[in-house]
Amino acid sequence: MNPNWLMVFPDKLRHLLLKLPPSIFARLEEIRIREGRPLEVNTGGRYYFLTAEGGMTRDAGAAFRTDKQDSKHLLDLITNHSMYTMEEELRRGFITIAGGHRIGLAGRTVLSGGKVEYIRDISGFNIRIAREVCGAADPVLPQLLDFKHNSVLHTLILSPPQHGKTTLIRDLARQISSGTWGHPEARWPGLKVAIVDERSEIAGSMNGVPNYDVGPRTDVMDGCPKAEGMMMMIRSMSPEVMVVDEIGRPEDAEALAEALHAGVRVIATAHGSGMDDLSSRPALSRLLQSGFFQMYVVLRRSDQGLSFRLWDGKRRGVPLYNPGMKGREADA
Amino acid sequence: MLKMLGAVLVIAATTLAGWVQARQYANRPQQIRRLILALKRLETEIMYGFTPLPEALIRIGEQSGGAVGAIFLTAAQNMKPPDNSTAQHALQLAIEAGWKATAMKTAEQEIMRQFSYTLGTSDRKDQLGHIATAVRQLESEEQEAREEQNRYEKMFRSLGLLFGAFIVIVMY
Repeated sequence: MNPNWLMVFPDKLRHLLLKLPPSIFARLEEIRIREGRPLEVNTGGRYYFLTAEGGMTRDAGAAFRTDKQDSKHLLDLITNHSMYTMEEELRRGFITIAGGHRIGLAGRTVLSGGKVEYIRDISGFNIRIAREVCGAADPVLPQLLDFKHNSVLHTLILSPPQHGKTTLIRDLARQISSGTWGHPEARWPGLKVAIVDERSEIAGSMNGVPNYDVGPRTDVMDGCPKAEGMMMMIRSMSPEVMVVDEIGRPEDAEALAEALHAGVRVIATAHGSGMDDLSSRPALSRLLQSGFFQMYVVLRRSDQGLSFRLWDGKRRGVPLYNPGMKGREADA
Repeated sequence: MLKMLGAVLVIAATTLAGWVQARQYANRPQQIRRLILALKRLETEIMYGFTPLPEALIRIGEQSGGAVGAIFLTAAQNMKPPDNSTAQHALQLAIEAGWKATAMKTAEQEIMRQFSYTLGTSDRKDQLGHIATAVRQLESEEQEAREEQNRYEKMFRSLGLLFGAFIVIVMY
């Protein structure tokens, strides 16, 4: 059974990818296609070029190069032969396909009134393969429990791209929604979760229905701008926990403040490699100063797997509750 | 007696041939009109429905029906797995395969072939422009087809019979 992201590749490229060793194929993270340049695959932080025979090499000269026809065909398949249905996606620079896989695009932009209208002459593709890892949040969730209110703490998850933020919050949403807290003293039932999924990455929705298991008590607002979506959810879906991905704009901060006043717990993610990065970003630093978040989780991925560190709302390091988990000791 | 039978056969054959030819002249403008209407429906699907192309083509193919509709249905089929053709290739293949079943000529075929190059590959405004161009060109072909119909349809219908009669006279 081929994974569904293979369906967007033209025959030629699909056959090349299928020739990869199964161990590599199963761990593919990114497939990068750049017109006239070597076809590249990324897995576990390493990259390889593919040769015309399906072998792997680091030598760009020996690699298989894609041509204009390939990128045209690929684009046609990604957009379901209908670029005109993707105007909003082209403005944002990526398309999400069935299964929640995200395809980043690069090319020449067309401006209108100083803003990007859409991308034309698209020649660079980055197919990011989304994986559902049930249990990714097992070591993290017990750290985020709020025993006083039988709920979870306001949490901000920080990590650079490609470190599994989205996988983590998807699993957090699933476990909070189903009430599997992973802590012997946490005995309250699952909570109502609302996911605002601007890029269709968390739930991988197709036609409004989540493709991933996001839990039995979870509502998903798909493809909706975060700030607006959060407000809509608060007004209409009475969530107890709100999950959002990649906050960073001023209006996001406003909507988060609104959620706080409405008594909704928030779990959000942001790009950044550490706590210091936060204060240098205007919208986020305001949130930081207001002491909105009660817990910060900083993810780091190494060859051994995912590890994380915790900081509390006053930016003091927090020791982990349960040693023996993947996460190593935080600074005291 | 045998000669008589032969004469009847000859006249019947030529008359039939004349009718078939006349029918072609009558069908061509009709089918061009159908093609134009189909493209206009496609325009609506693209502009207001945001319908993805394969679905839109199936819809207009079913609405148009006949040999013209079949072309769109084949094109939609070509776009899906296992073929996974580009929109351009899918439509061109469908035109090549299905054009013989229509009464339309190469002028219309060329217009559709050129139209296929831009199908689905740009934003809505651009698509609209290309559809409008194709429709305009088809309308001028339709005009010409109607004139030909007026000129030749009746002629071929009677010419078949007359030609048969002429052969019979020569034979006797």
